[in-house]
Amino acid sequence: MSKKNKMKFSQYRMMLSRYLLPQKKALAGLALLLFSSIGLQLVNPQIIRYFIDTAQSDKTLQPLYYAAALFIGFSLIQQLVSVIATYVSENLAWRATNQLRGDLAEHCLRLDMSFHKSNTSGSIIERVDGDVNALANFFSSFIIHLAGNLLLMIGIILLLFRENIWIGLGMLLFVVFAMIVIQWIRKFAVPVWAKWRQINAEFYGYIGEHLEGTEDTRANGATGFVMNRFYSLLRRMLPLRRKAFLGFSAMWITTIIVFALGNAMAFAISASLWKAGAISIGTVYLIFYYTELLAKPIEKIRTQIEDLQKADASLLRIFELFDTAPKIADGPGAKLPEGPLSVELNEVTFGYDEFPTLQELNLQVKPGEVLGLLGRTGSGKTTLARLMLRFYDPQQGSIRLNGTDIRECKLAELRSRVALVTQNIEILQGTIRDNLTLYDESISDSDIVAVLRELGLRNWYDTLPDGLDTPLASGGASLSAGEAQLLAFARVFLTNPGLVILDEASSRLDPLTEFRMEQAITKLLSSRSCIIIAHRLATVQRADQIVILEQGRIIESGARVKLAADPSSTFSRMLAAGLEEVLA
Amino acid sequence: MSTFTYMWRLICYRPGWYITNAFIWTIIYLMPIFPGLITKAFFDSLTIDSAAAYSTWGLIALLIGAAFARSAMVLIGFITDVNFRFRMGMLLRRNLLEHILKEPGARAIPCSPGEAISYFRDDVDQSEEAVSWSVDVFGMTCFAAVSCFILIRIDAQMTLLVFLPLVIVVVVAQLATTRLQKYRSDSRESTAKVTGAISEMFGSVQAIQVAGAEKRVMSRFRQLNDNRRKTMLKDKLMTEVLDSIFSNSVNLGTGLILLLAGQKMRGGEFTVGDFSLFVYYLTFVTQFISNFGKFLTYFKQMTVALLRLTGILQGAPAQVLTAHNRLYLKGDIEDGAAKQEPQAIDKLEQLDAVGLTYTYPETGRGIASINISLKRGSFTVITGPIGSGKTTLVRTLLGLLPQTSGIVRWNGQEVPDPGSFFAPPRSAYTAQVPRLYSDTLRENILLGATDQKGQLARALHTAVLEDDLGHLQNGLDTVIGPRGVKLSGGQAQRTAAARMLVRDSELYVFDDLSSALDVETEQKLWSRLFRERGDATCLVVSHRKTALAQADHIIVMRDGEVEAEGTAEELLAASDTFRQLWHGEEN
Repeated sequence: MSKKNKMKFSQYRMMLSRYLLPQKKALAGLALLLFSSIGLQLVNPQIIRYFIDTAQSDKTLQPLYYAAALFIGFSLIQQLVSVIATYVSENLAWRATNQLRGDLAEHCLRLDMSFHKSNTSGSIIERVDGDVNALANFFSSFIIHLAGNLLLMIGIILLLFRENIWIGLGMLLFVVFAMIVIQWIRKFAVPVWAKWRQINAEFYGYIGEHLEGTEDTRANGATGFVMNRFYSLLRRMLPLRRKAFLGFSAMWITTIIVFALGNAMAFAISASLWKAGAISIGTVYLIFYYTELLAKPIEKIRTQIEDLQKADASLLRIFELFDTAPKIADGPGAKLPEGPLSVELNEVTFGYDEFPTLQELNLQVKPGEVLGLLGRTGSGKTTLARLMLRFYDPQQGSIRLNGTDIRECKLAELRSRVALVTQNIEILQGTIRDNLTLYDESISDSDIVAVLRELGLRNWYDTLPDGLDTPLASGGASLSAGEAQLLAFARVFLTNPGLVILDEASSRLDPLTEFRMEQAITKLLSSRSCIIIAHRLATVQRADQIVILEQGRIIESGARVKLAADPSSTFSRMLAAGLEEVLA
Repeated sequence: MSTFTYMWRLICYRPGWYITNAFIWTIIYLMPIFPGLITKAFFDSLTIDSAAAYSTWGLIALLIGAAFARSAMVLIGFITDVNFRFRMGMLLRRNLLEHILKEPGARAIPCSPGEAISYFRDDVDQSEEAVSWSVDVFGMTCFAAVSCFILIRIDAQMTLLVFLPLVIVVVVAQLATTRLQKYRSDSRESTAKVTGAISEMFGSVQAIQVAGAEKRVMSRFRQLNDNRRKTMLKDKLMTEVLDSIFSNSVNLGTGLILLLAGQKMRGGEFTVGDFSLFVYYLTFVTQFISNFGKFLTYFKQMTVALLRLTGILQGAPAQVLTAHNRLYLKGDIEDGAAKQEPQAIDKLEQLDAVGLTYTYPETGRGIASINISLKRGSFTVITGPIGSGKTTLVRTLLGLLPQTSGIVRWNGQEVPDPGSFFAPPRSAYTAQVPRLYSDTLRENILLGATDQKGQLARALHTAVLEDDLGHLQNGLDTVIGPRGVKLSGGQAQRTAAARMLVRDSELYVFDDLSSALDVETEQKLWSRLFRERGDATCLVVSHRKTALAQADHIIVMRDGEVEAEGTAEELLAASDTFRQLWHGEEN
């Protein structure tokens, strides 16, 4: 346990030194502002005391007006100070968290697919934005507010001790008692809130899913079913919400009672001291005023500790994320030559878990050659494509491009030379230009338009109201499935790869569109190597070589023409089945 | 509907709860009157000889008693508040959800589902907050009135001189909240951009990594972050200025009292007790003004929320939102909610659509004047190049898109509202990209239907899903969907097919059922479908030869119109487009 705490402590220190300490000047200014604000708060009751005592005496009235003016002046200055302090600390916090948020996002972006497969973008938002936001307070104010309020509290108690030891002691006891009771009550209030938040998340998750599935729900007559589920969710929610609110009211009630007790004690002690003639009536008011003033730091310290506990969980998750190292280490930086690349797989074995998806694969593609990769769903074709781009590394064996092991290359270099078009198209919310260039400003508009024309998207492009600046909705809602696939193709056409991998890249296209693209693809593949992954035979017609995979092993390979001519080959049997399909 | 009517109708949903709640909270707000008076009595008992009748201990007991009484009321107040709020907020959500489920399914909401969630959460929350705060405003007004009355009786001149300028300061500050709202919406927007950017980055992480665009994406992200910092600072600064005016106005007021009280205290007509009472009530009165301002803000936000919520109704009257419906918090849910077990329906003999037209408002594309006719037991395939309007046609026919014009006839009878008409047992449908919910596989298929006579087993077989069941840990009871096991594209499509087939229907419509299936599974699926569909009518969007070859009738779409129709043989002879689709090459 203590070791864990120690680790936590060092994590906090690391956070502070990396993100907050660089802003020393702002920190110092902030501390100064807060201390002066505390001083002003402590001085004001003293003025009132002076005022009341003077008013009760026979001295001249003149000093009373000065005292009142001083009180108003101090109040105004304190107001100004607190505004400036908030500004400085907010700015500090945002700079620090922005830095952290950026670092975290960059780190996640570098992680490999095994991470992204198990973390949806929603959960990453929660971590990169939600958790970092929870730390914002830790950065902006935690230390300074905690220290500031502790000082204010200590200051008040010291000043009360100065008046009289009994009142000082009494108030010290009260503060300790108040902190303990409020912390204790919190134990009951917090877990119910967590439960409420959890069911709330479930509720909106439910609504979200059904907002996406309205078409399916409607057309299959499931509206009643969806509403019934909604009602039964409500039934589970009401008691939890009631409990959560009761927890909240318990906090409030505790505050009411604790501070009534505090006031009562102040009354009792000061009344007896007054009756004994030990203090003036002004001092009685001073004690009353300070007791009321104590409420603030006690509340603040409580919320700060609460925030720290929230930040704790967030901090833990953030460090966990930072500690997730990409399984794929960047290579030392071997260069890949311009022009078509040769591909060589040597005894490649790979599995996502203990079961191998690919086993002892050997394969060769000469520069400029086209390889057709066939096989049923789950035979490992897509996995092979992922290995080529190092989304995963094989457990055994090696992959070489032009004789260079791809683990020797920088990832950026490898991925700029190997292009992949998949069946899943990821459309970003942004303009069509952003979607095609992925923010690469070196690509000119005329190049983009030329590519769209080549791909037969000319008509589509002409209907766009703002040309390349037309925004696309996230997920590509404004595109038909086929059009989105063509855009994914267009992305590759705008780069200059030496190896192109088409993974079922045309499964959503109709044969006519596919045919129209043939020419464009021919042009793309001229002086490039290519691996075409398909479950349709028509797609591999341009292949020089064919490889057929089954359960992660090559069951057949050879030149396409030769395999087609050999009636005993699996490929020719597949061709025959395809032919049957035509004749049926 | 005006914001006021909106609020009124929400209050009227559960008037009993509302009135009880208002009553309790008024008492809660009135109660601080007593500690003020007790404090005054305490100081008076010390300074004024005639007031010494109150013993210090009696006053202390009163003080603690008042705190306990207030605590008890707070407890009751929270219970009434949560009960009223929950019902009101959930009524809005219920009505919203029900309405959306009634809209044409493919256009049920005018925005992305992610955005729509914020309507369900934030806009409803804001409405809830405004209605709930109306209670507090009433209670606080009562407190302000009573406390002013007490203070005026002590010293009318001072009450006016102190409170009037304060009220003006605070009201002016309150007016500045309009400014604040502008900053607030700016900061919201820049925050949305940041979260949007994260969601994009990680939703498309593969595309970014494939393109090696990490650096470019990140520099854009850091830029967005910095914009957010700037807007946030403005927002915070403004909020802080207002907050500090409110919290410091008590100090200012105290200063003003000091300025005026010197003379009077000396004269003895203003006691230390009076002074303490003034300061005590001052706190609550300024709090009242700032809370009243808060209510006004909530009310304004409610106006915006109402506007937004009305927008999502897509033309339906706003009364839909506040219709007083049951929430089934008690009693049997099944009772009333799953009402329609539709009466025996007309068997489908012939389905006709005449002049069916739909234009997408954003692009102006769509389908125009389509005529189709389906006979009982027929198998019709719609085919055509991408973007030719195949999906649009089936959606419009089934009322999943609101047709611009055209008539749909079922056995010659015009269908007034295709959206509600085309549901089981008349028709069932599989969308091009089917949606699965976070629930068991069984529930995803049944969606509330009962599994009579082994329909489920049959549907699983026809949809070629039996083999996949073995690979799922809990078979049919495996939780799938976004929060469960992710099915592969092909499995999802076949699950949706089973979802359709489990509902005995006259007409089955499937859009591009087999795009994610390998040849073998696909052939199995089609052959089982042909064998087992009985005399049900099928309408299929596909460009697969297996489907085309089996079709009784083929409709070839192009640019939103029917270009040709007939059997495969006829079309091979007559239609260029069809030949190209069939052979994938231009003859």
